[in-house]
Amino acid sequence: MSDLALKPLSAFRGHLAFTGMSEASGAGVTLEVRDDLAMAIVIARKGRLAALAENVCQTYGIDLPAGPKRVAAGSLAFIGTGPGQFLAVEQGGDALTFASRLAGALGDAASISDQSASRAVLRVSGPRVRGVLAKGLAIDLHPSVFRPGDAALSSIALIGAHLWQLDERPTYEISVFRSLAGSFAEFIWSSAAEYGVTIDNP
Amino acid sequence: MAAQSQPARLQSGGLIDRARPLEFQFDGRKMTGYAGDTLASALVANGVTLTGRSFKYHRPRGVLTAGSEEPNALVELRGGSRREPNTKATTVELFAGLEARSQNRWPSLTFDALSVNSLFAPLLVAGFYYKTFMWPAAFWEKLYEPLIRKAAGLGRASGLPDPDTYEKAFAFCDVLVIGGGPTGLMAALTACRAGARVILCDEDFGFGGRLLSETFEIAGISGASWVGETVAELAESANVTLMRRTTVFGVYDTGTYGALERVGDHLPTHVPHQPRQRLWKIVAKRAVLAAGAIERPIVFGGNDRPGAVMAAAVRSYVNRYAAVPGRRIAVFTNNDDGWKTVADCAAAGIPVEAVIDPRANLPEGLRNLADRAGATLFAGGRVLDAYGVSSGLQAIDVETAGGSIVTLNADCLAMSGGWNPALALTTHLGSRPVWRPDIHAFVASAPPPGLEVAGAANGSLALAACLAEGAAEGAKAAEAAGFSASMPAIPAVGADPTGMMPLWKVERSRTKAFVDFQNDVTAKDIAISESEGYRSVEHLKRYTALGMATDQGKTANVNALAIMAALTGKSIPETGVTTFRPPYTPVAIAAFAGHHRGKHFRPTRLTPSHLWAAEQGAPFVETGQWLRAQWYPRPGETDWLVSVSREVNATRSGVGVCDVSTLGKIDIMGADAGAFLDRVYINTFSTLAIGKVRYGVMLREDGIVMDDGTTARLADHHYYMSTTTVNAAKVMQHLEFCHQVLWPELDVQLASATEQWAQFAIAGPNARDTLRGLIDPEFDISNEALPYMGATTLTICGGLPARLFRISFSGELAYEIAVPAGYGDGLIRAIMSVGAPFGVTPYGTEALGVMRIEKGHAAGNELNGTITAADLGLGRMMSTKKDYIGRVMAERPGLADPERPRLVGFKPVDRAQRLRAGAHFLPLGAKAVAANDEGFMTSVAFSPSLNHWIGLGYLKNGASRLGERVRAHDPVRGLEFEVEICDPIFIDPKGERLRV
Amino acid sequence: MRIPCPYCGERDIHEFAYLGDATVSRPDPARNDAVQAFYEYVYLRDNPAGSFQELWYHAAGCHSWLVVTRDTRTHAIFGARLASREAS
Repeated sequence: MSDLALKPLSAFRGHLAFTGMSEASGAGVTLEVRDDLAMAIVIARKGRLAALAENVCQTYGIDLPAGPKRVAAGSLAFIGTGPGQFLAVEQGGDALTFASRLAGALGDAASISDQSASRAVLRVSGPRVRGVLAKGLAIDLHPSVFRPGDAALSSIALIGAHLWQLDERPTYEISVFRSLAGSFAEFIWSSAAEYGVTIDNP
Repeated sequence: MAAQSQPARLQSGGLIDRARPLEFQFDGRKMTGYAGDTLASALVANGVTLTGRSFKYHRPRGVLTAGSEEPNALVELRGGSRREPNTKATTVELFAGLEARSQNRWPSLTFDALSVNSLFAPLLVAGFYYKTFMWPAAFWEKLYEPLIRKAAGLGRASGLPDPDTYEKAFAFCDVLVIGGGPTGLMAALTACRAGARVILCDEDFGFGGRLLSETFEIAGISGASWVGETVAELAESANVTLMRRTTVFGVYDTGTYGALERVGDHLPTHVPHQPRQRLWKIVAKRAVLAAGAIERPIVFGGNDRPGAVMAAAVRSYVNRYAAVPGRRIAVFTNNDDGWKTVADCAAAGIPVEAVIDPRANLPEGLRNLADRAGATLFAGGRVLDAYGVSSGLQAIDVETAGGSIVTLNADCLAMSGGWNPALALTTHLGSRPVWRPDIHAFVASAPPPGLEVAGAANGSLALAACLAEGAAEGAKAAEAAGFSASMPAIPAVGADPTGMMPLWKVERSRTKAFVDFQNDVTAKDIAISESEGYRSVEHLKRYTALGMATDQGKTANVNALAIMAALTGKSIPETGVTTFRPPYTPVAIAAFAGHHRGKHFRPTRLTPSHLWAAEQGAPFVETGQWLRAQWYPRPGETDWLVSVSREVNATRSGVGVCDVSTLGKIDIMGADAGAFLDRVYINTFSTLAIGKVRYGVMLREDGIVMDDGTTARLADHHYYMSTTTVNAAKVMQHLEFCHQVLWPELDVQLASATEQWAQFAIAGPNARDTLRGLIDPEFDISNEALPYMGATTLTICGGLPARLFRISFSGELAYEIAVPAGYGDGLIRAIMSVGAPFGVTPYGTEALGVMRIEKGHAAGNELNGTITAADLGLGRMMSTKKDYIGRVMAERPGLADPERPRLVGFKPVDRAQRLRAGAHFLPLGAKAVAANDEGFMTSVAFSPSLNHWIGLGYLKNGASRLGERVRAHDPVRGLEFEVEICDPIFIDPKGERLRV
Repeated sequence: MRIPCPYCGERDIHEFAYLGDATVSRPDPARNDAVQAFYEYVYLRDNPAGSFQELWYHAAGCHSWLVVTRDTRTHAIFGARLASREAS
């Protein structure tokens, strides 16, 4: 059936074209859609967290974080999402096989749920990004409190959101459920417009 | 030239920017003010004394204060959809083109028809409404209330949608300083130097508090200069956030504060992409309340006359705004602070006619000051009454120490009855203030945890004490937040005497003496309240409406308590205390809504096929947060029922496709996944074979049905559960509870997979043939390989992984196919393409609903939180071989009663009759009373398959009454029709179509 | 009000869902008086003035069920721990 070969549609498709865009363009905040991230939930089996940690360390060279942190090696990162629970994120890999590749590597120490398509991820950066996020996120992002490598599950403007900081610019990646990409994009736009918005990719 | 248009503007001085004149209008009259003015100060500078009419008596009123406690000078600001009533002129920052109108007057401010209310004043005293409009009751709604509403009330709402945008935002800090006067500045400076993250808020557009309005010198420079230097240091510190025009209006638990930032209220026009106001939720480890104090009026006859102004407000207008509230000023003060008005007016060259101070023995310094000012001094005197015309004060009667009455000409009476610490925020979490007899005022007793009070807000009224306390509390707060703070040098200031003698109410006044200016409560009203037995402060409040206006009685409450205390012979603290609720000053509801208005009221979830469905012109319906396609109209179809019936027929005779991605989906994994499911479902899942699906029902622990759905076993340790759309989050929370709280010993892992999979139902006799066009050739989906209730994983369209379930909600041969959600858009297009030869027809939630009713499947209308599994006819599914949530309670006699209403089907006896959900069932011939009620209709649909309306509903003893007739009684719509009871499964009762 | 989630840190109350008394436990359904015991478990609750252990769900965060100790009179929160007795 190769004539039907399906292509994935970005969750942000049609959601990043805003009225008034041109007058608000500027350097306050830069947005970039991350459609190149494969994801899976990794949960330690009962009493197997230590075994899982050892597997992850040996296989990927990553020390599983004990709290809400992001630990990366190469294109792979593990982000703590709860006690014994992690979101594994792979950049640029084959999303369709990511969960099964993880399962193969980690054996029976963990249960794995494929989430490669469930999230819409926006990378936000720029000098005003903290001010923009403060309009919807009740978490202190001050550099003395929230640093690169820190992650948080919370909500932004009533939308469940998972956010992690990549660098000190600062750059954050924010993951929301795919179905909420439109509402999320509209919130970011209306909150960032006063500072100027640049969209890095369509 | 502008200055000439401002007859009451001083030639020099003030903190206004004379280089920036601003044109504005009041009641259509063009005027000019300066940048740095408030609307009130600009009106004062333009000689406007009358700004509005009062709430009840329509008395002429003018500016009383210079701050947010203002009860009188309420105006309508701006026009059109931006018209905002009840805006305090004293807090409105003047901008070019400002338009304001006085309120509560008709036809004009100077001639007000309803001021005849004053003539009827004896009728309008406290309690009048309660007594007079009691009878007859029917008159209240039709006659009395509309009349009263027309006469009372203040400004008019625009009645149009608010064109502005609002935002909510969150902030965090170590030390929040509330109030940027001398105390707050010292607190912020000290905490800032300690390295703490500081937020300093002030409701004014400039920091400095009273320092902007007084003539203090601090460390050898003017107060305003000291403010400038201090604010400059704070502004340069990266750890300080300065928030002007920001009112901290509420204190909430665990160090959370509400604040309103007026981002654009002072701007002539809307700035694109900027909100008008921003509502901040500030989380602070520590906070310092440095909100200052509020001067209280003295209660005497005519004290509400335009021209009767608070003494400190007179200084604000003279010193800060260079605006003169009168040409002949008299000062009535019971305290030393009020004498500053004498000194400052004299210094500004404003004639002070007289000083009236009830204290007979005044210090020599004050006597000399009166002399220097050329004022007649009435030591031991009182102002009995103030007189004038509607545009203002003309004369006052003074009772001298000797008891004689002297009439003096004055157009402005500056009054001061002492100061009330602004402690409102300290009472928001329930703490009650205490009376401090030495300063004759209430102060905070036990402020909320993490909040300390300093300076005038703490009853320390002298400047030196404010500076020292501010520094000390700033240091303490920083230390408590984990910083090491040292006390700064406290700048030297001059002496600032604060002596006073309480004087709450002048006896022997002949005219109305006001206590609560905004709600028109007089001293006499308090006496009436007392004489009728409403003596407790709570009764007083409700009987007279004292303190219940938008200003919460900031200038009124303590005077009222004192008057009541005098009437009852009790002390003030015995009489009651003043407590306040958030917000400190009114906050627009729009600010609380923020971004969440209109289509942003709540987030919207879009299905994987949304884009495609929109292209088909489908209308969408909200299902929880989801938007789902309701039906897919074809050209020429104008009636939804036509479209829906076509979709049902096409599905039942050929093949239909529907996006069912919104159903909740949960991966349940681990060695004990099956055992876990056995405990949450009424039926058994541990025995389910891999590659099979089973329908399950889960109960709440009280035995009532919580949710239902199918669960597939995809692997030994992997089940895939589906929930109803609306209960998805609730079920996940419930499962997490069972897993984490009840049975943490089980090896179970839960992950929501709702958003991972785009899932489509493909239903109808041609479903398999349609699917074959998608499935990669190595997979067999024949009836033998994948029978009814089978599940499998496979690939489609050349290698795309998919999950395929042979389940049916429609009652037809049907499948649900799931692919990673990003491919959902591609898949619906592919299904439409491969299904075209079979006439594939997309169907929406309406056709889905019709088909499930035809099949007797329960949905949201049936699972209404009162229903047991047995009520649904699923009693036999309830396993007796295991424990599960709700089992024990479901066995209670009331829930197990065979007479309970059971889910059955209904057909209209007259087949042309339309059925209505919500109708109640009554025995034929029985009276329509609750005692005869036998149940109700939950869902109805027009069945295109049967060509008549059908319904589902709960009927007492229903299962044993098939074939009987009952009456469906619909009092809401006034309908009544006869229905026949039938099996809830209207189509293919044996389920043969499912298995072909 | 803010609740200190042991995993996520201190968070605003809006992230949490409330259940109630954390000191009751699900009865053994096999006991003779199971109906009475379940009736009490499902319906009967104390309403103490003062320190109270209660279950909260971190719905917008890590999905952990927490046992939070709260003063019902003042909303002062004395601490929170994971409800799962065997959390790894």
